[in-house]
Amino acid sequence: MNAALFRHAWRLQRVKLALVSAGLFAWGLFPPLIYAKFGKQFEAMLESGIFPQQFARLGSGDIFSLTGSVALGLIHPIALILTSVFAVGFPVSAIAGERQQGTLEVVLARPIGRRSLYFTLLGSALLFIGIAQAALLAGCSAGAAFAGVFSQLPLTYMPLLWMNAVLLFGAVAGVGLAASASFDRFAPALGWTLGIEVGMYLLEVLGSLWPDAAFLQKYSLFHYLRAKATLAGSPTLSDLLVLASAIALAIAWSMVVFPRRDLAAPI
Amino acid sequence: MAAIRTNGLTKRYGAICALDALDVEVREGEIFGFLGPNGAGKSTAIRLLLGYIHPTAGRADVLGCDIVTESVAIRRRIGYLPGGIALYDTLTGLEQLDFLARLNGRAPVRRGELCEQLELSTKTLNRMVRDYSRGMRQKIGIVQALQHDPELAVLDEPGEGLDPLMQRAFYGILERLKRQGRTVFFSSHVLSEVERVCDRVAIIRSGRLVMVEEIAKLRSRRRRNVAMQVEGGLPTLQGVAGVSDVEIRGQRVTCSVDGDIGPFLSAIGSTRVTDLTIEVPRLEEAFLDFYGERSS
Repeated sequence: MNAALFRHAWRLQRVKLALVSAGLFAWGLFPPLIYAKFGKQFEAMLESGIFPQQFARLGSGDIFSLTGSVALGLIHPIALILTSVFAVGFPVSAIAGERQQGTLEVVLARPIGRRSLYFTLLGSALLFIGIAQAALLAGCSAGAAFAGVFSQLPLTYMPLLWMNAVLLFGAVAGVGLAASASFDRFAPALGWTLGIEVGMYLLEVLGSLWPDAAFLQKYSLFHYLRAKATLAGSPTLSDLLVLASAIALAIAWSMVVFPRRDLAAPI
Repeated sequence: MAAIRTNGLTKRYGAICALDALDVEVREGEIFGFLGPNGAGKSTAIRLLLGYIHPTAGRADVLGCDIVTESVAIRRRIGYLPGGIALYDTLTGLEQLDFLARLNGRAPVRRGELCEQLELSTKTLNRMVRDYSRGMRQKIGIVQALQHDPELAVLDEPGEGLDPLMQRAFYGILERLKRQGRTVFFSSHVLSEVERVCDRVAIIRSGRLVMVEEIAKLRSRRRRNVAMQVEGGLPTLQGVAGVSDVEIRGQRVTCSVDGDIGPFLSAIGSTRVTDLTIEVPRLEEAFLDFYGERSS
């Protein structure tokens, strides 16, 4: 880690981080409120058989329990898009984007090894994701308090859920940094990272909506964010290991590719 | 000791040879010009020396450190100005310089004098870089490369974007660096710029080193294009040492003069010259001269 580079990344991202965190906090208020207000009605509608039960689920989330609604808040596209600002946007622009702009050349003219640069950026991405996810969970807690169901929230397991979410989006950021370290231009790095993230998200959603496609879920990193199970007190260590392994794989790829790459003059 | 020494330094991209067995030595304390047209391999050589790209063959040392295994140590001791430098648009000039100085890990001891010489006021430095003109960006580029007083400055096309007054100020900075024993590796495609500030020059074309020469020798070898308007009798230029391509149209005489200009001046000494232009050849012409000689 390079302290000067880290401070620089923080400085450039702090306003964005504040806005994204505020957005995630605000979004986090809704799922517990919706659960408290409409959970019972939705459950009754589903039990009447008007539409399949799968349609009320997204990943491991639902709106029939507080833990399910928090899980829904974490994996909902709104949370995904906001968190992707730091899980995709930051890592992709940090190397490939700066390379395309020409600013990476100025930074690498300093006594900084490429490995040090990489780990500083990875550490920064994990920190930003961590803050963003903490804001989301804080929003969920505040929403539960506003809805009068705070006592149902298993606070003991919230740190573990936070770690699960950080590992998931950390893995996406790892993919983003690996793509960023592999391409000279922003667009292909962004395309690959978004393609992988959206593809995995679709596999998870498809598997949760369509029982015949459930086997696809295990190929999605999003499947290993088991928010409801974690909050219910039965977290699975193997899920965390899968996500940590994905990060390790992305780091290994980057360590092989980035230090050996020729960084020709920006076009 | 040599500040830079390359031995057979080669860079290939597939079938394309961007740099072919470069052997060059830059002495400590000199200003060394690296001259060549765009695409000749100047930036490739610089990027190899700084560790941005890796050599296909050969080796090089910068300040006694190997470019492959000791790249970080090299960058700790040098200052680098990339060609067409890119800066962070969302920072002010001062924030930019502070950030880059922190990355260097060395105090910006020369910043004050450099900003003064390049007329970068506090007001200018506190403006966002996105509001800077190209010339101001280049000035920031020069300051960031030299502010920490590096032992070796590697400058890629440093005069680009500077107006004539600032170019003069920049040449003054280089002369001061030289007096203080610093080494400058100076890449350019502008012959006059290199001539003005450098002690020696290497000329590179299509990735190959064409020659390394003292500037004084280079100057003496240059061909000048002469045009003059005369009154009365025409001068006799046929057979004068160094004079060729003589053309006479009425009272207008044009010719080329190679090397020492003394014999030509003697030959026109008794002629009444009403107008005289001695044109410094363009870089391309100088190159063509050198290449013509080499191929013949």
